[in-house]
Amino acid sequence: MRESEMCAVIDLNEPSQDLAPLTNERPVGTMPFAGRYRLVDFPLSAISNAGIRTAGIFLPRSSRSVEDHIRSGQAWDLDTITGGVFSFPYVATRDYSDPVNIHRYYDNYLTFLIKSKSRYVFITGARNVSNLDVNALLQFHQASPNPISAVYRSVPTTMADPDQEGFVLGEDNEVIGFAPSHELPERTSDHTKPISMQMYLTRTDYLIELLSRVQNSGEFTRLPQLLHEEIVSAQANAFEYTGYCATIHDIQSYYQANMDMLNEENFHALLFSQRAIFTKNKNEAPTYFAPEADVLGSLLGTGGQIEGQVRHSVLFRNVTVEDGAHVADSIVMQSSHIGKNAMLSCVIMDKGCIVGPNVKLQGTSSAPIVLAKGTTILDQAAAEEVLQS
Amino acid sequence: MNTEMLAMILAGGQGTRLGKLTRFTAKPAVPFGGRYRIIDFALSNCSNSGVNTVGVVTQYQPLELNAHIQNGASWGLAEKNAGVTVLQPYASSEGEKWFQGTAHAIYQNIAYIDLYSPKYVLILSGDHIYKMDYEAMLAYHKAQHASLTVGVLPVSMDEAPRFGIMNTDETNRIVQFEEKPKHPKSNLASMGIYIFNWAPLKKLLMDSYSTDGRMEDFGHDVIPAYLNRNEPTYAYAFHGYWKDVGTIKSLWQANMEFLEPDNPLDIDDRNWRIYSRNDALPPMFITETAKVHRSMVVDGCYVAGEVDHSVLSQNVKIGTGSVIKDSMIMPNAVIGKNVTIDHAIVGERAIIGDGGQVIGSDDDIAVVGFQEVLGRMEEDK
Repeated sequence: MRESEMCAVIDLNEPSQDLAPLTNERPVGTMPFAGRYRLVDFPLSAISNAGIRTAGIFLPRSSRSVEDHIRSGQAWDLDTITGGVFSFPYVATRDYSDPVNIHRYYDNYLTFLIKSKSRYVFITGARNVSNLDVNALLQFHQASPNPISAVYRSVPTTMADPDQEGFVLGEDNEVIGFAPSHELPERTSDHTKPISMQMYLTRTDYLIELLSRVQNSGEFTRLPQLLHEEIVSAQANAFEYTGYCATIHDIQSYYQANMDMLNEENFHALLFSQRAIFTKNKNEAPTYFAPEADVLGSLLGTGGQIEGQVRHSVLFRNVTVEDGAHVADSIVMQSSHIGKNAMLSCVIMDKGCIVGPNVKLQGTSSAPIVLAKGTTILDQAAAEEVLQS
Repeated sequence: MNTEMLAMILAGGQGTRLGKLTRFTAKPAVPFGGRYRIIDFALSNCSNSGVNTVGVVTQYQPLELNAHIQNGASWGLAEKNAGVTVLQPYASSEGEKWFQGTAHAIYQNIAYIDLYSPKYVLILSGDHIYKMDYEAMLAYHKAQHASLTVGVLPVSMDEAPRFGIMNTDETNRIVQFEEKPKHPKSNLASMGIYIFNWAPLKKLLMDSYSTDGRMEDFGHDVIPAYLNRNEPTYAYAFHGYWKDVGTIKSLWQANMEFLEPDNPLDIDDRNWRIYSRNDALPPMFITETAKVHRSMVVDGCYVAGEVDHSVLSQNVKIGTGSVIKDSMIMPNAVIGKNVTIDHAIVGERAIIGDGGQVIGSDDDIAVVGFQEVLGRMEEDK
């Protein structure tokens, strides 16, 4: 097999409890985004655009939606004869006090890394939605002194989520500390803090050695934690990403990131740049705008049927908005249906929801109403019930 | 290998009547309905009918058609021992094999068909918009013990003189074929869809080309020969939406009919989807200055102007202040600001500069050609 320059590890075990009910049946990585995508499309496209053809996907507890989305990896050119997508299942019942299981945990990573025959490995999750140039990161790494590089973005202090973790940077922009944002010193020149994007690049043999060392020690430390420790002890080179980025960690951040895409600058930066975002293809018909349709400032997927009013909203594929319905500042996922004269504002409808005629649902941008997958609300009484629970 | 029925799609037509739209592309590759190319209908019908071995016979400007079809995976046709093969004319020791007609094109590809030893060969044209179950037609063909079954469309008697008309007896057996009859006896128009038992067709073509070489065209030569020889030849009536989009007017009209919510083509029917090769494009962006009614829009579109009763294809940009009415805009076309487009077809990758006007009428549809550039854009600050 040809030796390849880089391989990638996408770890989809990411915290999802604050995103319930949207994450009841899916990990953060397969949350629908911006009318067409799943969050995992962003790391998959980043690696595809960098010419990476070998990716290890470490699956979360609920992996059905991941497998269904990625399939052979063909949409990201990952179905080549050398390389490919290698998925590693999550075993919920595994007891990590058992040395055999600890050994196996590291073996999964080690087997993948050794077989990839790559010189470098790019490690990422899916919750930091961005359009990273992985080749630029590689060049940065090759020109930097330390054995591992870590990606961060500068977030204005006023916008930083206090619990999000970031870097304490040394004089040469090397990582010397890792802490929640409220403990990080502010960079005085622009009042920002360097927030970690949980993306790393290192030599594959370096990571193999690190994992083997931990494996032999008998201790159990999961890879993300291991990397947090390693970037400090190895004083990782800090690479600043300056494009659009949103960390999806709760309902509010998820809602805001989707609304961000209605801003043309963000939309073009993330979705319409030279590095295209690829996703699984669906053969939907075009979206039909009826004579009464009235749509402004919105993103829409294909297969839709729009008869009502849509303002400043993100509609996924196959959505119906009936005559007289008003949808504003909302996210409506695939195959949802909004009945005649229904009024929705600041609502997140998961896949396959039905809102009946004349139903009013009014959330706020700081607390949008979330309808779990497949929720059916036929009348206002049912709506009140859902809002109570 | 053994395949019960193999399909041959005749996609070599130059489409001269489509003028500027087919100057650089074959007719079957012409975009339709926002997300499709014309040949997607025949390919999807094959896929949905379980016909999974398909030869696409090309000849004229095949580059875009090749790029579109690739290995057929977009239509679910990339299976082992089956799949789509694009068949180009080629030169052999017997000389060049440029296709002289529909039947001649099949004769030249006997080697390909014999690779699969099919019992039946389905002949299709790559330039019609329709949804049809070829499996049902094959069942009919078998039930009639036919040697040839011709797909026919009942048309009105007024229209019949424009078509090849099949005159049948009470058992649907074809007794006479009349090309564009002045005084038609029947209203069953040939759709250019045939199921042949492969062995007798192969023999007819081989005999012909080893002697006089007269069997060039199915309608003109082969069907009359079958009738003369008393081969059991039956008509299979198709009842549904069928449109030949061979002219600018009919292509425009089919796109306008596609916009009707009750269009019998029923593009939204999930049990008979039309597949296509699609690029991964962002969702459509409808800006704060847009107005979109009675229209079909697809992914990758950016609409800042007004769109009324029109079809926008993938990656079309419409600038602010522009008005698109009763028109079909093909993929990757860029329309600047304050442009008026009415009763028009705008070709792929065409660019219409700010303030441009492209105005046709019901009788004279305006056309902007493939990659044609009209006017220029003002620089955005």
